[in-house]
Amino acid sequence: MQLTLAPHPITDLQFGPNARLDGTVLTVDVAALRQVVLQEASIVDVEFDIVRPGEPCRAGPIFDVIEPRAKEPGTGEDFPGILGAPLTAGTGTTHVLSGAAVSVLAEISPDLTRSATGRVLEMSGAPVTASDYAALRHLIVIPHTKPGLPRPAVEKAYRIAGLRVAVELARSSLNHTPATCESFDPVGPAESGRDGLPRVVYVGQIFSRQRKPEVDEPILYGANTEGMLPIMLHPDEWLDGAIVPSLHSWFGGTETYFYQNHPIILDLYRRHHAREINFVGTVATIAGSDNFDRDRHCRAAANLVKWNLRADGAVLSKYGGGLPHADLAETARLLEGMGIRTAVMVSDVSRDRRIESALLFNVPEVDAIVYNGGNGVRWELPKLERIIAATPEFTKLLTGPLTVDAANIVGVTNQQGASRMRSLVY
Amino acid sequence: MRIAHYLNQFFGGIGAEEHAGKDLEIRDGAVGPGKLLESLMGDNAQVAFTFVCGDNYAVEHQDELTAAVLKKLRDSKVDLFVAGPCFDAGRYGVAAGALCRAVQTELGISAVTAMNEENPGVDLYRDTVYIVDSGINVTKLRDIVAKMAALGKKLAAGEAIGSPGEEGYLRRGWLRDQLVDKSAARRLVDMLLAKIKREPFESEMPATAFAPVPIPAAVKDLSKAKVVLVTDGGLVPKGNPDRIEGTAATRWGAYDIKGRNDLRAEDYEVSHGGYDTRFVQEDPDRLVPLDAMREMEKNGVIGKLHDEFLSTCGRSNPLSNTRRLGREMVEKIKKEGIDAVILTST
Repeated sequence: MQLTLAPHPITDLQFGPNARLDGTVLTVDVAALRQVVLQEASIVDVEFDIVRPGEPCRAGPIFDVIEPRAKEPGTGEDFPGILGAPLTAGTGTTHVLSGAAVSVLAEISPDLTRSATGRVLEMSGAPVTASDYAALRHLIVIPHTKPGLPRPAVEKAYRIAGLRVAVELARSSLNHTPATCESFDPVGPAESGRDGLPRVVYVGQIFSRQRKPEVDEPILYGANTEGMLPIMLHPDEWLDGAIVPSLHSWFGGTETYFYQNHPIILDLYRRHHAREINFVGTVATIAGSDNFDRDRHCRAAANLVKWNLRADGAVLSKYGGGLPHADLAETARLLEGMGIRTAVMVSDVSRDRRIESALLFNVPEVDAIVYNGGNGVRWELPKLERIIAATPEFTKLLTGPLTVDAANIVGVTNQQGASRMRSLVY
Repeated sequence: MRIAHYLNQFFGGIGAEEHAGKDLEIRDGAVGPGKLLESLMGDNAQVAFTFVCGDNYAVEHQDELTAAVLKKLRDSKVDLFVAGPCFDAGRYGVAAGALCRAVQTELGISAVTAMNEENPGVDLYRDTVYIVDSGINVTKLRDIVAKMAALGKKLAAGEAIGSPGEEGYLRRGWLRDQLVDKSAARRLVDMLLAKIKREPFESEMPATAFAPVPIPAAVKDLSKAKVVLVTDGGLVPKGNPDRIEGTAATRWGAYDIKGRNDLRAEDYEVSHGGYDTRFVQEDPDRLVPLDAMREMEKNGVIGKLHDEFLSTCGRSNPLSNTRRLGREMVEKIKKEGIDAVILTST
């Protein structure tokens, strides 16, 4: 199993009648995309906009950010299980419009108790240094859904529309020769020639059962994770559309973009190529809703790492809110007990900026912790002329001047490892 | 710069343990380590006066000592208060920390002290006072006083203070966000590889140990006990009259259940964004089990259910906040003569 990525660098997006890629400039055909989006019966209308790095503009609330990618025909499905049959992701060739993104706006706030605005895409000013998304050219998708739909139906329509648009955009690159072709050295528990290098595994949570998933919620190959036990995935499956974030947690610092460009997996690959490690695989797991659930998942995940992947070390990341810290720490504790060294990445839960509120576990074996900050920074955003939002209320709310917590700028407090915001202890 | 310095009887040159009962003495000018401090501060720094006090006297008369020091400093035009270094002398450390904190908060004068990390004064005062890491080796006095001088100068001048590693103080336990060059993913893999290779690595967040909460004595006779239901699951009457926040709540409420045997969905809502609230919304007894408690009341398992339930939202709530909420609830629970509490969480 081996994925080939065919990147086409994009320096600008423009609207025009015929979708095409001229060098590094992508022409976006609104009429065609409209048809793509309106396939979703829940969406009655859609608008599009383009934002570029450095432009004084603001868009929100952001539901998802997706890298435009399309499979070379005949080599697999785009977002298998969601947009097509659940064939194995991570094989064949995937064309990538690198430097571009499709960002989907919502008409609703993700969580009023945390922020009225939800996550905001800010393309200029102080926050741009803290979010990788500010350096991309975004096609903003502004869907308008049928009034009166239940919230999960609305969110699902956003998800599907965003993915479809991302694929459609990237199809413009299919008959073009990519700038380079990138494939990763083979990875797997049985790959030979790496004797003596530490065998390293990534264990990533992809859902938290703090909430029950919707029956038709697409997460892993289109399945909602209900009843799943931890599963071994090839790293290329993560990168190639097997996983998308859950519908509910678009406030949680996880976007499709950083599954496609998963920073932890890419860093493990980098060191695999450098022959620093033997990257032997990944385990996708979920955070439990109670102690029984937690024990089941943590033990199954640890057992896969130990017995199937025979790892020397594992890096672990979490998904969702506070509760998943417990699953993260318990899995790491079990692994340490099996003689497998671990490092874990947590999100910032200290709202009073005290160290005593910073961790939700105290497990002596879990002694290597990377801490994603974010609760201690706020930005004063200026009033801007150009606000992109799905409703007049959000346009008004986002016009500014407004104060925004770092966590409310999309990309700053990413849980997939993209964040460079760190809480230091003083 | 005018400095006031605090020393114990030993460093103040009075004598060892047998003089630990000596009361406060105020001398003009620098004494002992104060002279070193003066010279290391440079720039015409001057130790205006030195407080010398026995260790036993200081802890046994902490309030009087603090009052006397504050009185002397009130109109003294002192820019900086320095205490110690105290090394591993526990009583000395406790007194130094208390004085530094009082001088800072009451008079707005910057303060710095130094202790070994195991000194009991560290845990008591590290969050409010800059405590230079002195270790236990008294022969390193010069290095330690140099660090105190450098940090003291910055504090008195109102300059930004660097990290504990840069400045040499014991971490105060405050978090500051900073953008760093390496992504979290990279740091994560770096840390794992260092750990595998048995190279030194530093966790980005040290674990915090909490004093164990002792298990209280069992309720003697539950059938005579008055019981209250308390939840952090955010159940509130429709309209959320106390405006209990759904994240990091700063308030709690007490809600009347007198004469009711069951909580009806239409009367309540949930202010909590951290769990799937649909099931509680459907039937609030799932979170606050009034129905089950009434049955136990009827069957004589418990004496009486208190006429209100207490509720707040536990989501993402920092300890500084939850401690206060807890204390306030306890006050009420005691006042109401309640014998037992059932806490339901989510």
